[in-house]
Amino acid sequence: MAPALRLALIVAIAAAGLFAPALLGGTGAVYSAAVLIAIFAVMAYGLDMIVSDLGEVSLAHTVFFAIGAYAAAMLATRLGLGPVATLLGAIILAVVAAAILGVVTLRLKEFVFSLVTYAVAVVAMTVAANWEFLGGSDGLRGIPPFTLAPLGLRAETDAQLWPVAYGLLLVTLYLMHAFRRSRLGQAAVMVHLNPRLATMSGIDPKRTRLQIFLLSAPVTAAAGWLYAYQRSFVSADLLETYFLILMLTSVVLVGRRLLLGPLIGVALVQIQEKFFSFGGYVDKIVLGSVLVVVLAFLPGGLVGLGRSLVALGRRRGESVAGSMPDVRTVKD
Amino acid sequence: MVGACVALAMAGPASAQSSASGPIKVGLIFPLSGGAGPQGQHIVQAVQAMGALINAKGGVLGRPIEIVARDDESTPAIGVSRANELISAGASVIIEGWNSPVTLAMQPVINRAGVLDITAISKADPILSGEGNPLAIRLNSSNSQDGAVIADYIANTAKAKRVAFLVENDAYGNGALASIEAELKKLNYSYEKVAEEKFPFTQADFRVALTNVRAANPDLTVAINANEGLGMPALIRQAKQSRVPGQLVTAVGTIAPSVIQVAGDAANGLIGADIYFPDVEPFASLPQNKEFVAKTQEMYKYTPDKYMALGAAALEVWAIAANEVKSLDKEAVAKRIRGGSFKDTIFGTATFQPNGQLDSKHYLFTVEDQKIVVRPGVN
Repeated sequence: MAPALRLALIVAIAAAGLFAPALLGGTGAVYSAAVLIAIFAVMAYGLDMIVSDLGEVSLAHTVFFAIGAYAAAMLATRLGLGPVATLLGAIILAVVAAAILGVVTLRLKEFVFSLVTYAVAVVAMTVAANWEFLGGSDGLRGIPPFTLAPLGLRAETDAQLWPVAYGLLLVTLYLMHAFRRSRLGQAAVMVHLNPRLATMSGIDPKRTRLQIFLLSAPVTAAAGWLYAYQRSFVSADLLETYFLILMLTSVVLVGRRLLLGPLIGVALVQIQEKFFSFGGYVDKIVLGSVLVVVLAFLPGGLVGLGRSLVALGRRRGESVAGSMPDVRTVKD
Repeated sequence: MVGACVALAMAGPASAQSSASGPIKVGLIFPLSGGAGPQGQHIVQAVQAMGALINAKGGVLGRPIEIVARDDESTPAIGVSRANELISAGASVIIEGWNSPVTLAMQPVINRAGVLDITAISKADPILSGEGNPLAIRLNSSNSQDGAVIADYIANTAKAKRVAFLVENDAYGNGALASIEAELKKLNYSYEKVAEEKFPFTQADFRVALTNVRAANPDLTVAINANEGLGMPALIRQAKQSRVPGQLVTAVGTIAPSVIQVAGDAANGLIGADIYFPDVEPFASLPQNKEFVAKTQEMYKYTPDKYMALGAAALEVWAIAANEVKSLDKEAVAKRIRGGSFKDTIFGTATFQPNGQLDSKHYLFTVEDQKIVVRPGVN
């Protein structure tokens, strides 16, 4: 396809996406689901960089999500700052936190890396739940509606917030696409798959890891930032396993290093939870089992499964065709 | 495919919008699974029983009420999803709240949708601050109301000078301790805090803490422990075994009949306070309460506890208010309830403060022969 045509098609699909909730009925529940899917997808894309590209499992990404949300809540309620300033604050704080965590975990890999990031999440949860400065166990309330006066935007409802959430999702998708084509993105994969070759090619694995951490944290924090406005209440529950499991499942469910993978993963999980719920216990069993099955048996996710099935079908088709040449000849 | 799923899902709730003549939908959001699941399920049963009583008397605005219960899984994010679900399903009122963070997360969502939100149990003070919901209503007593009752007992009845505290080290325990101390300060009562021992929610062995308390020789010891299944009965038994001197007083709402049952004889002589007892005066002879207790026993073979009564009273008060103002409008009903008074409820006359808090009458009780005996005089 010609690049210009391809670009036009992408722009058309992206523009059409804006009207998707309206086309699906446009009720409050549809807009709420759409806004949350967009926000949680952005949250998952931050983790996707670490899991899919760097090949490590960070269990501390809920911390970046919470940093974004707490930054928005505190700057908006205590200093009266608008969304642009609070986004800036969220990004700066997330980068600082990621730099500290990145430096500390620079030499750690796989299991130890995951364990250390988990410990960080536990510490963060305890601090958030008990420190009065952060609202303690009562959390932070009274976050004003998302307002951008120059654009005449004041989002009281999820329908009004939808363009903002969708915009954030598109920016994140573009960022992920550009990242994977960039030198850093390619270096990440090389560090992941063949660290020795990476070193021989002049790539510094530690530097690459740190850079990816610094890029990934603000993405997840931006999701937390918008979530604070969407929910207008922020508390230590953001550090609970609910968000961690949601992120991890979404990243691995569809398949790794697929641009739309985390978005589709989040959408599937959220739609099941919101519209096809089987009750608390069964939902948790379903989500946990899906995670186990995908991690244990489907390393390529649903797309990998689909590919295997297609390949199997082809092979069968070929062998059937090969064993019955006469029939084909006759038919032809 | 995703789109198809959403479209399919939305076909249900959209067509289920309550029409002007069909039943009025009342949404309930409580934990129905996990650690608090049994309590949440009991509350739903109590509200169902109250709903049956209301429907038998002609319903609300001449229409029957239909109870739709959802599980918040004690998780704020899920509670918000369930609130959106009930709003889409056309609920006229949502009665919710076991965990305070879940309530605080749901308040803005329900408020923005223009649906009346009544909090049954969650205790945190910010629920009534008006930030999440300017028309908030809550039935359970607040931490400060609870603290005042215990402080009054310490200062005016027991006149204890040497006071020890055994405190669960979390938001609830520390908040309860702070409110008792603040109320004692308000009373300008001079006393000495001879011991303060803190422990985690899950602790069951208090012998070291109790040894320290005994060494401090208190006139009175206040136990703040919400772990009614394990911690509180263990604490009561071990306090008796350790021969801790002076009176043992428990924080408001921490002594359920099950606690007394597990603690056995050690519970005798204990002082506590609560706002509702199904079969103790003055509740035992209130006709509305008798009817409610009988209906719950008939439908579910279970005698309602305080939490169940609070859930049922939330529905009862809402139904009376809606019938009086002849409207389901959030603002009209909320204004009738906030600052208003209701005769003949299962709590007797129920009066709400202008900020939406139900005025609770606290009843001090002692445990005698493993039975709760309410002390004369109401706080």
